Amino acid sequence: MFPFGMSRTKKRKALSFIGRNWALLFLILMLMLFSILGKHFFGLRNFSNILLAVTTLLLLASGETFVIISGGIDLSIGFVMGFVCVTSAIIMRDLHAAGFPQAISILAGSSIGILLGLIPGFVNGVLITKLRVPPFIATLGMWGIANGLAWRLCEGFPIAFLPPKARDIGMAYIAYYSPKKGFSLFDRPVLTERADILNLMKIIPLSVLLIAILLVIFAFILSKRKFGQHTYAIGGKVDAAIRAGVNVPWHLIKVYVISSFFAACAGLLLVFKLNMGIHTQYTSSYELFAIAAVVIGGASLMGGKGSIWGTVIGVLLIGTLNNGLMMMGLPIFYRYIAIGCILIVAVLIDQLFPELVYKE
Amino acid sequence: MMDNKNLRKILIGIAGRWILIFLALEIIFFSIFGTNYFSLRNLQNILLASTTVALLATGETFVIITGGIDLSVGFMVGFSGVICAKVMVTLQAAGASQAVAISSGIIAALLLGLLPGLVNGLLVAKLRVPPFIATFGMLGIAYGFAEIICNNVPIMGLPTSVGSIGHGYLVYWLPGKVFAFLQKPENLTRLELQNLVSIIPNVTVITAIVIGIFAFILARTKFGQHTYAIGGSMDAAERAGINVKRHLIKVYMISSFFASLAGVTYVLRFITGRAPAGSARLLDAVVAVVIGGASLYGGTGTILGTVIGVLIIGALEIGLVNLAIPTYNLYIAVGCILIFAVLVDQFFPGLTRKEE
Repeated sequence: MFPFGMSRTKKRKALSFIGRNWALLFLILMLMLFSILGKHFFGLRNFSNILLAVTTLLLLASGETFVIISGGIDLSIGFVMGFVCVTSAIIMRDLHAAGFPQAISILAGSSIGILLGLIPGFVNGVLITKLRVPPFIATLGMWGIANGLAWRLCEGFPIAFLPPKARDIGMAYIAYYSPKKGFSLFDRPVLTERADILNLMKIIPLSVLLIAILLVIFAFILSKRKFGQHTYAIGGKVDAAIRAGVNVPWHLIKVYVISSFFAACAGLLLVFKLNMGIHTQYTSSYELFAIAAVVIGGASLMGGKGSIWGTVIGVLLIGTLNNGLMMMGLPIFYRYIAIGCILIVAVLIDQLFPELVYKE
Repeated sequence: MMDNKNLRKILIGIAGRWILIFLALEIIFFSIFGTNYFSLRNLQNILLASTTVALLATGETFVIITGGIDLSVGFMVGFSGVICAKVMVTLQAAGASQAVAISSGIIAALLLGLLPGLVNGLLVAKLRVPPFIATFGMLGIAYGFAEIICNNVPIMGLPTSVGSIGHGYLVYWLPGKVFAFLQKPENLTRLELQNLVSIIPNVTVITAIVIGIFAFILARTKFGQHTYAIGGSMDAAERAGINVKRHLIKVYMISSFFASLAGVTYVLRFITGRAPAGSARLLDAVVAVVIGGASLYGGTGTILGTVIGVLIIGALEIGLVNLAIPTYNLYIAVGCILIFAVLVDQFFPGLTRKEE
């Protein structure tokens, strides 16, 4: 039909590839740009810093991905994170103070924190499915409730005096390499000289590894299991999903519990990372950044579209941007403008080139 | 049979006005248990404290009725407030008179404040970006620019008259002696100052007038009807010959205008321009609109309902302070009221909607 049929399809394919992977390409471009412009940007230590800085956001955004694919939204995750962070820190502190062994107090704090963290998600799910409250409203209400409870528990102060082991876990790396003592797994080599300590190479933080495992499991569930297919189906068209025999209310409750679970994990991660339980009003900007990451990663707020892999790229994009702007010495608030622009561009690409993004 | 009908009528009456009843109960509760809660000064304090939320929520009502949402309004308060303060300070330093500096600061803030709304509207209407994303992006951009304009520090050193406007009252009344409009009577003794009754803050007057005008526009004009029509069904509105895109742009500009006005009143009240000024008020505003009976799916909602929603939050906030209950309980309470409001709508759809 077309005189230049071959080259046209090729061009189309190339464009379609760019359209689908623009976030990844943009991330690579940005990495190159910052490596050239910024000082000390390109290096194992800084990359490891970027990863460490985005871990909480990564967890929140992954949970949010499930919700957004199902066509909903969860605004409560930032404060659920704060709530779990404060609750488990209090339990750890009190058990530790009561003289329990560190392992028991840490385990009890973590598991009770995670379990309590599932409740907001369950309530959200029930409100949304059984009582037909719009997701935006239900989770906004939960936002207020979790915020108030967390604040009430910590009274606005950080919760300190946790078992010291908690910090060791949070700051652990998988492997250490010191020119003097060679490789060691998990155990940080005991060094006395300042120069040796500075030269110690720390490879992959333990928290990043654990999160990676968690993400791989849930990415597998989302893309390869029935549960994931149903999530996409509900987001695509609820009526069709019902006709296909999916128990939509029950499924949605599970989705909101997953989102809450990830938020709880993020809260627990904060406890281990900071060795403190912290809840501030700034926690509320987290869910907005999480939603931004999910959307940049290619999900649509209308539901039915998105992936964990895309979300990971979206999170890395935001993290790299933050870090890069900082390393270039720009004031922190430029990042708000940059993220705002990227977010809008992300959706515009989706809107203006739908055939590029969707079709092969 | 008859009894049943009457009961139904009463139920309809209660459910249709439950927020008003809730507000009344709330004020009665705090009046009984609080100290000096039901006094002219305290009730005016509730109005003053609700200024920002009231303005944001009124603009948000328009957007929510069209079925959209505007997340940028919170940081827009800081954006326009910083512009307002910056212009005032700069002009004053350049030697302009206070009146010139203040009025140009306010005009500049209100005009530049329309810009984000225009961009939001264009993105939503012309480029079909979902409102949540477009306005969320604008949130970041407005905040970033606000911080750049004020260099990350609050702008101080505003003209002195700003405070006398922002803290002024419409009427001053000293029982039996003085009765003055706008001008605070001078040369009063300490005792007289204590007895001086100040009635209706200037800021509240401005807020009430603007909200009144837009309530009229929404309820009584074609513009308002079209807003409801678009929220009800965009396709139907389009077929009915409404220029939906143009209309949506106007609606987002209205929301933006209200946010900038909130920024200006913030500057008048606090005599400073801060970038994160109204950021925490965004969610309060959305909550107020929803409590006021609007649906996030569009097509329903009124300014009167929104104002009552705002007052419910404001009365609660001041009441908790009055009872010395820590403010974090406000969040829990507001969260519960929000969910409750939607549940009432869900369970009594026949009751809350008007008899046809």
